[in-house]
Amino acid sequence: MNYDLRIMAVTYMKKLEEEPETYEQEFTNLTKGINLEINDWIIDRINNDNSIFEIGCGPGTLAARIAKQKGKNVIAIDKNFQMINYAMANYPSDIAGKLLYQIGSFNNLTVFHSSQDLVISTFMLSELRPLEQQIFLRNVWKILKKGGRLIIATEFMPLGIWKIGFSLRRWRYKKKIRRYRLKNTQLNKYFFNYLNPIGFKITDKKTWKHNSIQVIELVKFNNEGKEEPGYYQPKMKKYKGILSQFRIFRCIFTGQIDRVPIEPGIYQSGNPTRKSPIIVTANYDFTYIKVMRDLKDIDVWVLVIDTNGINVWCAARGNDFGNQQVLEAIEATGVQNYTKNELLLLPQLSAGGVSMPNLSKKSKNFPFKAKYGPIWSKYIPEYLKNKPVQKPANMKLAKFNIFHRTRAFITHTTFLLRKVFFYPIIASLIIFLVVFPWFNKLYWVIDFILWIITSNLIISFLFPLSNFTRKFILKGLVFGIITIIILGGTFWILQKPFAYILLNTPMIFWISFFSTMSFSGYSMSTSPREIQEEYGLFTKVNKILLVISVISSLISILLI
Amino acid sequence: MIEKINIKQLEKNSCCSIPSLNNIRISIITSICIGCGVCAEVCPFGLPQKKANNKYRISDPALCTECSACKRNCPVGAISMFEQKGCGCLWDARQRITKKNGSCCS
Repeated sequence: MNYDLRIMAVTYMKKLEEEPETYEQEFTNLTKGINLEINDWIIDRINNDNSIFEIGCGPGTLAARIAKQKGKNVIAIDKNFQMINYAMANYPSDIAGKLLYQIGSFNNLTVFHSSQDLVISTFMLSELRPLEQQIFLRNVWKILKKGGRLIIATEFMPLGIWKIGFSLRRWRYKKKIRRYRLKNTQLNKYFFNYLNPIGFKITDKKTWKHNSIQVIELVKFNNEGKEEPGYYQPKMKKYKGILSQFRIFRCIFTGQIDRVPIEPGIYQSGNPTRKSPIIVTANYDFTYIKVMRDLKDIDVWVLVIDTNGINVWCAARGNDFGNQQVLEAIEATGVQNYTKNELLLLPQLSAGGVSMPNLSKKSKNFPFKAKYGPIWSKYIPEYLKNKPVQKPANMKLAKFNIFHRTRAFITHTTFLLRKVFFYPIIASLIIFLVVFPWFNKLYWVIDFILWIITSNLIISFLFPLSNFTRKFILKGLVFGIITIIILGGTFWILQKPFAYILLNTPMIFWISFFSTMSFSGYSMSTSPREIQEEYGLFTKVNKILLVISVISSLISILLI
Repeated sequence: MIEKINIKQLEKNSCCSIPSLNNIRISIITSICIGCGVCAEVCPFGLPQKKANNKYRISDPALCTECSACKRNCPVGAISMFEQKGCGCLWDARQRITKKNGSCCS
């Protein structure tokens, strides 16, 4: 099916790119020859263009064909030096310097402004993130002559009913990609929205396979007669009302698993003017809604940077919220044109990824005075009002109070049920319903799920009890014992058989121990190195406990 | 010939403590610190504390989560610490040990 190949094409692009010799052939196989049809379509369209620039040329097949067949001057760049090496090695002999291969990227195009008639880019756009696509379009706009053209071939979401199959397959491939830790390709969801604000008009296009592969011809125009490309600003996203409350719940329930990105760009709180400061935040839906609500309609610009739909703290610790993302967002959105106020307020927790001394060093015209704001967004209005040189303790200290722990309880329990206990639960259901139809034993599965929920409830609510140590194995043992006492007592009151309680004690203990270890990421009370040192011992204890608890629970099911 | 460095001896003699990977997790080198207070502004646990000589010191290194916020944002590079990508989380540690390719945060 075409969707398969389309997603595979981009998924495995990274792998293909490592082997330039076979790249072209393999890529043609993946697209079933559509890339060749696209090349023909592009070549048909070249008539009076003297200077042609190709971005992402790969092994240089298209560029060489243009230079040969049409006799035009072509500069072809690719950021992969293996590709350029291969292209150079296969440089056609009879074109007398009309073709130039270079290592380069869309970030920094090495030709003069207004110098090119035509820019071509095939199958590269989906490797760029939304803000990068905007930078790409703006940079291309700058190097094009007046009335110059841009031809883009790329992949899109197919039309109508084909979307369903496409989405299902994409979901599957996304999981696969995550397992291989490859960068995900982007769905060109918003691409057409960027064109008009930046200054491009669609003049022609051809589509293949229900719109999933398209080649688009664009013409540059001057927005309001300006000599600069424009900037794109996303539409305001709702943050009040019942629907956004549901979006919040969705994030709480899927927190540790799903990324929920929103479109990065400039948003507004209240009616910001040219004197309003800029608040920077992550593009996780939960973060966005929370920040916008906490701002309480005071007049500020909100710069949502592209953190891949991850919250500020995790993004900062995982290279998704760093100098690169901040500078990229500033370049793509042109936020300095919105306000004369120099204050750029970064979230305090982003300091684990952003390095302020380097921000102004790395970019030559960094027009802002960057500052770290309060740790919780609810203090932003107060912070902006008082502008404290040194923040008071409540504005900078992380807490893990009962409200945070309640949310952590929900997120963590759903995570465990979905990612750790899902298959065991399904397996035991199959055993009790299909393999041996012991319908009267089904209560054990229900008990099992209840144990998971209660032990997590106990851990989250009583977490400060274990503050005497930073060793999570020790915390796990403590909570194991507490859970046994509480659940055992409850069973005693409910008058369950004594043997049942006794034989399931190891299982309850193990669930509690394991959940405590897994809870470590929420608590902010351990460091990467500490938990890594504990990991070896943890796996041993975990295995022993697991074997004991499975055996004794099996006995309890068989006996009682 | 290079003599073996006795860290304890050095710590006793010099102005500052030298963090070794095994015991001290983080420390501010007093002679470099300019007392600007950025570290105290970014630390979510309030560990850097101002001392009488207007310089900062980590009050309780054991509470540090190695997030590197202070190190990244110190204008003079006075903070020495052991830094790792990711945060203190079981699944992160598992990722690092079993897969050997980075952290689960990204």
